[in-house]
Amino acid sequence: MQRHRQTKWDETTSEGHEPLLSEKDSTRHEPEDTYLPDDLTRDGIELPSLSEPELVRHYTRLSQMNYGIDDGPYPLGSCTMKYNPKFTEDIAGSTAAAIHPDRDPELSQGALQVYHELQDYLSRIGGMDAVTLQPPAGAAGELTGILIAKAYHEHNGEGDEREEILVPASAHGTNFASAAMAGYDIVELPADDDGRVDLDALTEAVGETTAALMLTNPNTLGLFERDIEEIADIVHDAGGLLYYDGANLNALLGRARPGDMGFDVMHFNVHKTFATPHGGGGPGAGPIGVREGLEQFLPTPQVRTDGDEYTLVEPDESIGKVHGSMGNWLVLLKAHAYISRLGDDGLTDTSAKAVLNANYLAERIDLEVPFEPFHHEFVASAGETDAADFAKAMLDNGVHPPTTKWPEIVDEALMTEPTEAESKRSLEQLAAAFNAVSDEDADTIADAPQTTAAKRIDQTTAARDPTLSWQQLSE
Amino acid sequence: MTMERAHPTREPIPQIDDLAQAESGSPFTPHDADDVAEMLAAIDVDDVEELFDIPDPVRYDGSFGIEGESEQGVRRRLERTLDANADVTEFLGRGHYAHYVPSVVDSLSLRSEFITSYTQYQPEISQGFLQVLFEFQSLVTELTGMDVANCSMYDAATALGEAATLADRVRAADGSTILVPDYLRAERRAVLENYTDGAGLSICEFPTENGMVDPDALETALDEDVLLVYVETPTTDGVIEEHLGAVGSILEDRETLFCLGSDLLALSLLENPATVGADVVVGNAGVLGLPNAFGMGIGLFACREEFLRQVPGRLVGASEDADGDRTYTLTLQTREQHIRRERATSNICSNQAWVALRTAIHATYLGPEGLTDLADRCTRLPARLAAELDEVPGVSAPANDAYHFREFTAEIDGDAEAVVSELADRGFAVHQRGEDAIQVCVTEANEAHVDDFLEQVREVMA
Amino acid sequence: MDHEIPTDRRYAESHEWVHETDAEGVLRIGISDFAQDELGDIVFAELPREGETFDRGDQFAVVESIKAVSDIYLPVSGTIEAVNEAITDQPELINEDPHGDGWLVEIRTDDDVDHLLTAEEYEEQI
Repeated sequence: MQRHRQTKWDETTSEGHEPLLSEKDSTRHEPEDTYLPDDLTRDGIELPSLSEPELVRHYTRLSQMNYGIDDGPYPLGSCTMKYNPKFTEDIAGSTAAAIHPDRDPELSQGALQVYHELQDYLSRIGGMDAVTLQPPAGAAGELTGILIAKAYHEHNGEGDEREEILVPASAHGTNFASAAMAGYDIVELPADDDGRVDLDALTEAVGETTAALMLTNPNTLGLFERDIEEIADIVHDAGGLLYYDGANLNALLGRARPGDMGFDVMHFNVHKTFATPHGGGGPGAGPIGVREGLEQFLPTPQVRTDGDEYTLVEPDESIGKVHGSMGNWLVLLKAHAYISRLGDDGLTDTSAKAVLNANYLAERIDLEVPFEPFHHEFVASAGETDAADFAKAMLDNGVHPPTTKWPEIVDEALMTEPTEAESKRSLEQLAAAFNAVSDEDADTIADAPQTTAAKRIDQTTAARDPTLSWQQLSE
Repeated sequence: MTMERAHPTREPIPQIDDLAQAESGSPFTPHDADDVAEMLAAIDVDDVEELFDIPDPVRYDGSFGIEGESEQGVRRRLERTLDANADVTEFLGRGHYAHYVPSVVDSLSLRSEFITSYTQYQPEISQGFLQVLFEFQSLVTELTGMDVANCSMYDAATALGEAATLADRVRAADGSTILVPDYLRAERRAVLENYTDGAGLSICEFPTENGMVDPDALETALDEDVLLVYVETPTTDGVIEEHLGAVGSILEDRETLFCLGSDLLALSLLENPATVGADVVVGNAGVLGLPNAFGMGIGLFACREEFLRQVPGRLVGASEDADGDRTYTLTLQTREQHIRRERATSNICSNQAWVALRTAIHATYLGPEGLTDLADRCTRLPARLAAELDEVPGVSAPANDAYHFREFTAEIDGDAEAVVSELADRGFAVHQRGEDAIQVCVTEANEAHVDDFLEQVREVMA
Repeated sequence: MDHEIPTDRRYAESHEWVHETDAEGVLRIGISDFAQDELGDIVFAELPREGETFDRGDQFAVVESIKAVSDIYLPVSGTIEAVNEAITDQPELINEDPHGDGWLVEIRTDDDVDHLLTAEEYEEQI
């Protein structure tokens, strides 16, 4: 079995594996002869000052103590860590893309055309009537979508009564937080025994106070909500809207569209489905699509065209803005490039291979997967072993582990999403890592990881006595 | 012996790329036909389609009408599209600034271990990025003078929105007003309104004088209901605020937070926010590390220690591993959406981590002296350009009697719209401000073009 | 795993304990050994202010471990008389001595504790 081994520097000092910038140099500089008078300037600042060679070595060493998709499989469930094509980075780096957001639209026709084309692509892929690219992340997309639902109900004179958002218990945490940020009360829906939305519970929960139901499909167990048409009817009959969380759209590309399932509003996670790199936690982008009748509430500006020229338009009853300008432009540009490269065939093949890979991987591992039939991801149970410990032991077996302990409906959950970009050989390597840990004794698992740059990290001390900067470290 | 050679035909020669794609569907799925057959056999299924548990009525059998292209084809098409962006020299600012980004920033930040990694949920294998973010937090802490800084918000506008809801959470007494200056960009205000709508807060404006806070007017606008007062330096109009200390004194004994908006470069030189009494500092960190990116940025967020438990977004802390070595990890995660759900301090999950990496590299490349010198240059360049513009007949600059950072407004005799448009035709982009003013931004990135710019302004105004 | 369940106090079904103090009408409140064990390493406790008034069943405190946040409910109505400041700096006291130094608040109340579980009844519940 091939196992990834991380580079680390074996002579660890009190400064850790790689000294902080501030430990390499700390220079206090007090400005003199400034143009500004002294009472408008500060006394000085103290920061590291490194030569370029030292700087390059510092960050190169840090990169070697970090695991990326290019190192090996990264099967975090619901995160869709797929391969990020390199050519998209070259396009994003072109000087013609480096423009100021306040240019007159006449001077930014190229960027606006990219926006318009991507709006169009996403409308078709999601089965939606209009798309905005402004939300800078998935959670921002959720907030935008819920604000649109709110504007819709206010427009209908029902803003005050409809004060609840329904969210399945197994939903992403952002769903709850985004709805709360928009001022809504949350009603949590239990799952039925099959792991899907419980229709009886839904029927009981919806009513005149319902603003919307937020749903992920396939859900976090990888299961398709088979009753989606009935769910849509129940919510719509009560006057509510149906919101689609696009985190798991990779499973459905070219095979089912949220718009056709009855969803009114949806977000796309372009950093998941459309292969833009996650960059260690961002930037992402969270465009949203809406069905006909909601486009007047979209954020301002919308990019429109008469076929000749691209213009910026404020929708009639726009909710306003969710980002200071047009969202994460460079990320959107990469998503456009990816979709253009794949086209219909590539997109449809993506969902096929994503689902095939998840099924093949699940078949090859020795753990129980309680809920089926899953699609692009599955949730295995670590059984008697703590799932977090299981994950640490997987690190020693040379792969990045899956998402752990969530969704809670599965005991000691290992939520696993290999994505379409893993080869059969790579899936076998991943399966071997799962199985090796299953056979390991409790002590080995408890002591893992031993091979990574850092051994098991003490989370408790970090939280009890937060040390959040080198200034606090030296206090 | 004679060799038989094929005769060239006039049929199109298939692209190699297209051939590969036709076979696999996606160029980024590694499976060949044998792989698929073996995998299907292993899971005892005849066809991949059987794996999709999608009821017929909601199945999609249509086509998006998007035709895949070769890599070369996509690059050519998008590069051609982007070329439709006019080739103008930008003298634009108002919250989005271009500085020269050294090559080490691209070279290091594009290392795939960084850019293709995820949020550091497994810290033992993600020490590199965690240390990067810890160092970023430390840089922001130093430059803002605050006690704690997070790993980033989306941009300056959303950071301001988060500051407002933090003010609402930390205050014991009732209150629902956020007080902002009249110069606040409409876009930032619009975001602020959406971030505070759910909490039932209202946004009110206070008037400024000569582009700065008028302490008397601010005091008049204040009442018990005000949760937070927001002030910028430099302002969106480029004015360096001269009354920060007065604002701090006014707010010192009130249950009203003082939120200062700035950017990391300006902060290396201007008054220390902690010294003037700021409680929260927000703004744009992307002035370092990012070129102009059509408004993509990174929001900075720093505040006093007492608000730590209410900070939005991710925080990286130092800890020890099982060997007792210093290590880094995401911490205080119970504030965040994946644990606290509807009671989280914010819904933010993905942030701008990779931009934070770029910002940290750029800031460290410059070092304290480089930063301060560049900031000083950003006070001299607009002063000189304003003086030169002021000599052009029909132009009065700067409009505000103040020190400026990077940019300033200039009053124009005549139609500002026509002047801006004519300058664009001559290859220069500036902001139009109302009917009779323009705003001009100058940094080291465009200073080489200042003489040409002045020449064109003279001709347009003639 | 066995948990301590001192018999000198009463328990709520939601795992809080109530103990009499020397002062009449003042009860000391904390969380049970079982509760702290379920939570794991406690890293932070958010406590009410002295003088705050609550009804029976109100949430009055929040206890956080690394990966979970738990609301703590008041088994009686009353006014907060004292809070355990030691916990602010050393939240681990709740883990180490849940029935002693890891107490959370003292409350002045007119309520009796007859509605709460005895040690025996609580043991049965867990």
